[in-house]
Amino acid sequence: MLLSIVSYGLAMGGIYALIGITYNVMFTASRVFSFTAGALGMLGGVMGSLFIFRLGLPVVVGFLATLAGGAIIGVITELVAVRPVLKSLEQHLYVLSTLAFALMIQQFTAIEWSTEPQPFPRLLALPRGAFDQQFWLPVLACAATVFGLELLYRHTLVGRAFLAIAEDNYAARALGLPERRLRMASYAMAGMIGALAGFAGGEVLLAFFANEPMLNFYGFVPVALGGIGNNRGAVIGGFALGLFQQAANYVVGGVFASVAVFAVFIIVLLARPEGLTRAAAARRV
Amino acid sequence: MPITRRHVLAGSAAATATVASGFARPAIAASEPIKIGFLPALTGPSSSTGVAINRGTILAVDEINKAGGVNGRQIELITRDTQSDPTKAVNATAELTQRDHVQVLWGPLNSGEALAATPLGARAGVPQLDPCWVDSLIDVKKYPRAFRVAPSNQQVGGAANHYVVDVLKVNKVAVIGDTTGYGTASVEAYVPMLKAKGANVVYQGDTDASNPDLKPELLRMRDAGAEAIMPWSVNAGFLARILNTRGEMGWDVPVVGQTTLGSGQTKALLEKPENWAKVYQNNFRPCSYDASGKLPARTAEFVDKLRANKIEMGDTLLWWIAIGYDIPHLVATAVREAGTDPAAITAYLNSVKNYPGVYGTFSWTAEQHNGYPDDEVVMCAADSFRDGAFNLAPGYSA
Repeated sequence: MLLSIVSYGLAMGGIYALIGITYNVMFTASRVFSFTAGALGMLGGVMGSLFIFRLGLPVVVGFLATLAGGAIIGVITELVAVRPVLKSLEQHLYVLSTLAFALMIQQFTAIEWSTEPQPFPRLLALPRGAFDQQFWLPVLACAATVFGLELLYRHTLVGRAFLAIAEDNYAARALGLPERRLRMASYAMAGMIGALAGFAGGEVLLAFFANEPMLNFYGFVPVALGGIGNNRGAVIGGFALGLFQQAANYVVGGVFASVAVFAVFIIVLLARPEGLTRAAAARRV
Repeated sequence: MPITRRHVLAGSAAATATVASGFARPAIAASEPIKIGFLPALTGPSSSTGVAINRGTILAVDEINKAGGVNGRQIELITRDTQSDPTKAVNATAELTQRDHVQVLWGPLNSGEALAATPLGARAGVPQLDPCWVDSLIDVKKYPRAFRVAPSNQQVGGAANHYVVDVLKVNKVAVIGDTTGYGTASVEAYVPMLKAKGANVVYQGDTDASNPDLKPELLRMRDAGAEAIMPWSVNAGFLARILNTRGEMGWDVPVVGQTTLGSGQTKALLEKPENWAKVYQNNFRPCSYDASGKLPARTAEFVDKLRANKIEMGDTLLWWIAIGYDIPHLVATAVREAGTDPAAITAYLNSVKNYPGVYGTFSWTAEQHNGYPDDEVVMCAADSFRDGAFNLAPGYSA
């Protein structure tokens, strides 16, 4: 039982954390909270199954094609749902535009792919074990992403440019940083991370169009817990959520598990509205 | 002369009388085709049923017309693809009843569309044949001309309960649904029925269909001593996860439930083919193989006919094609016996007793428009699929 809690908890935690990071990457680049994160996760599973299972491509090719597909969806999100509303950011129109775009993706998948969950291929030809690849792959994907992002943000010029526009958009532009292109690149990167979440978690979640709202909701929790824009917080929040949810599945079961998750979520936010890992932001008055 | 209210009333009464007495019916009526308005979902998410039923319906109409039609009149099938969309089903129903003046409506073929379209058919007074299971669809007071040509959900659940309690002789039962309307409503409806049969429901629960790990629920069932699992869901992922977890736990209790348990989609999600053993899903006795691997005579003859006409059945379910085939023949019989007047067709259908269809033996009365017999709803072995049909689950007497 403990093994089952840990294995599923870590797998789901890794997926939630990656979706949380997807939210964050899009947010830091544009100050827009894009609700396409869950759609990207869902598409990662669907595209993986499409490329590897249905079209019979090798796993590596299918994986790269899935990442490319995620990047394209990310760029389209920026063009269609984010850029038009940036001018009036304070009106929160992005909630409508990104949510509408996510719904369109979900409906399109339902019609063109299937409304039934479809099988996801086994990625590595390893024998099934207690701590199977379906459990450690999402964890590995999450670790690789966090490591890669740290490297990018701290040690490369492009990464520092990303941070610069996240920190102060106007100042960065005044310094001559290509803000629009950097934002596009951020959305492409977020698309890849979201697709990676769905791809790595494909064996657990299957290629199913209805994963979108589920990932949108549960992927949001680590962001809120860890503080918006804080990737380390999202990782901690994601794994905490995964493990707690799975433990709740065992202890209370059924629909009450989700109730327990959201009860704890609300209590944490009431106690620390700024998130668990973030200092309360000072606001100039 | 001023026009008073009395004049207007008298005038409109006269006008009504003229209309009611009828324009002379054109002489061509006797040779006009008999119109069946057919509402399958041929595209969209619920189209797999519609595509299969369509094959049977086209075959039957061709067959009747080639044999000279009904009393010398051909049958004209007017098909409108509902695209799995209740709104389109409603529009098509309006078109078929008001513009095409069809004699009978056949469909829509799934519950969501039928619930939306049936009131419209009832208002137009057109006899309507529905193959959907949802209980509330059939109501002789609200829709006096709507007839069910399939079992109701009540009968489907009843058959599963009957199999578990009376055939398998299992006493401790676990009932699980997903959190959709169908799942929760089924659990709520079938658990009291099980208890009324004397079964002990040791586990009852609803779980989100997208929950990837159902092991906690299955452990709870096993700890409660369950000897059979009855899942109510149309979600292949949910069902396959139950079967995979059961396999992984090495627990060999029977799983008894809805038709999706035996679908290709469920099969595709199984980790091992053996996980499909001891899985029994709803099916229909006339379209099931008996212990010696044979179909009933009437159905075997029908399958030969399908083969002769090169109609594919391995990629779908035989009972869908069979129901599609039965309805035009039923309509032809009704017209032959009673003519094309909607009231006369309704009266005829109300008097039908043991009509021998391929899919089932139908009977209706003026008070009961659920026409499918209880004893023809059976359970089948999921892993025995061939040519669109399954073996009868073990334990049924011949």
